[in-house]
Amino acid sequence: MKVFLAALLFAAIAAVGMSILLNTIQQPSSVAFTTSGARVGDPGNNLVGPG
Amino acid sequence: MPSSLSTLKACVPRASIAKALCAAFALLFVLAYPAAAQLSFKPTAEAVQEDKLLNALKEGDKISGRITIPDAMASSLIQPAGRDWRDFHRSKLPIIGGVAIIGMFALLAIFLMLRGRIRVDHGFSGTTILRFASFERFTHWLTASCFIVLALSGLNISFGRILILPLFGAEAFATMSTYAKLAHDYLAFPFMLGLVVMFLIWIKDNIPGKVDLQWLKQGGGILPNGKHPPAKRFNAGQKGIFWIVIIGGALMSLSGWFLLFPYLPANVTALQFWTVIHAVIAMLFIAAMLAHIYIGTIGMEGAFDAMGTGQVDLNWAKEHHALWVEEEQAKGHAPSGTTPRAMPAE
Repeated sequence: MKVFLAALLFAAIAAVGMSILLNTIQQPSSVAFTTSGARVGDPGNNLVGPG
Repeated sequence: MPSSLSTLKACVPRASIAKALCAAFALLFVLAYPAAAQLSFKPTAEAVQEDKLLNALKEGDKISGRITIPDAMASSLIQPAGRDWRDFHRSKLPIIGGVAIIGMFALLAIFLMLRGRIRVDHGFSGTTILRFASFERFTHWLTASCFIVLALSGLNISFGRILILPLFGAEAFATMSTYAKLAHDYLAFPFMLGLVVMFLIWIKDNIPGKVDLQWLKQGGGILPNGKHPPAKRFNAGQKGIFWIVIIGGALMSLSGWFLLFPYLPANVTALQFWTVIHAVIAMLFIAAMLAHIYIGTIGMEGAFDAMGTGQVDLNWAKEHHALWVEEEQAKGHAPSGTTPRAMPAE
């Protein structure tokens, strides 16, 4: 049971760690794949959702 | 300025003459072609129709534009292959997945009804032998737990809209799918790590050999009661599962890598190809793992202990992995000369 719980904990830590790492070293797509002339404000929310 | 005035005066009559000529020609044209007089050109009716255009484009053709944003894939305007890809995801993939997964559930249920649970023929001896060390079990559960989340969140992409959305509503389904997608993206990394470690620690015990042919010829001891062909640490069935996990996992990882970083494939066609590979392998992978989970839990008595505590009963080990037990006994890692004594199975 300890081994199983340790594996779950490690998986969670590794997943969170990778998300932090990728968010640190990568630009969001709204910046990476656009030029400054084509960027939208509040990316992710202004083109979708109830707005 | 006299010369300028005279030029102006000279120009005016010429312009008037030109206008008169144009009007005459226009009248002539209208009289000759009355339909044109009604401006019968209809842009929406006579412009290129999308379906005709798409049908005219052959396999692999696409219409691309010129863009200035740093996303090369955004330049693809029309790509007929995308329709085939969409059709595959909407209609064929759910059928493949449904047949594979529901079919496997059905097969396992039939097998359980016909064969019943595979018991330890000589009963439990009360003596155990170490089957998997802590690190091996850690690697197994790391990979397995990630796989379960990846499988469920992946199935949500294919079947969630049909099965879960009607039950929980759009808001709850959207929230759940968002978190499931995040879990799918990031748990992919510990899953891939688990695959690599699993490959390294178990490859030496999973090379197919002659003993595996004998095991297969005798049905692995699963079909006939009381007959267990000898096997080393892993029998042919377990080796099959190992290679399904390694090869299937490698294909899932490679295709998944392109989906995690979609700018890597460089074009939309390649990205669609990898999504198809990812989806089809996933369905088959899940079906195969259902069989693995079955035989490791309810399908075979005493099997779960191997990954539960790491210790298995000596009689269980002798029946299913006789050659491995002999090797362990020769190394002094297992009690030898123990006379099996029957104990209650449960």
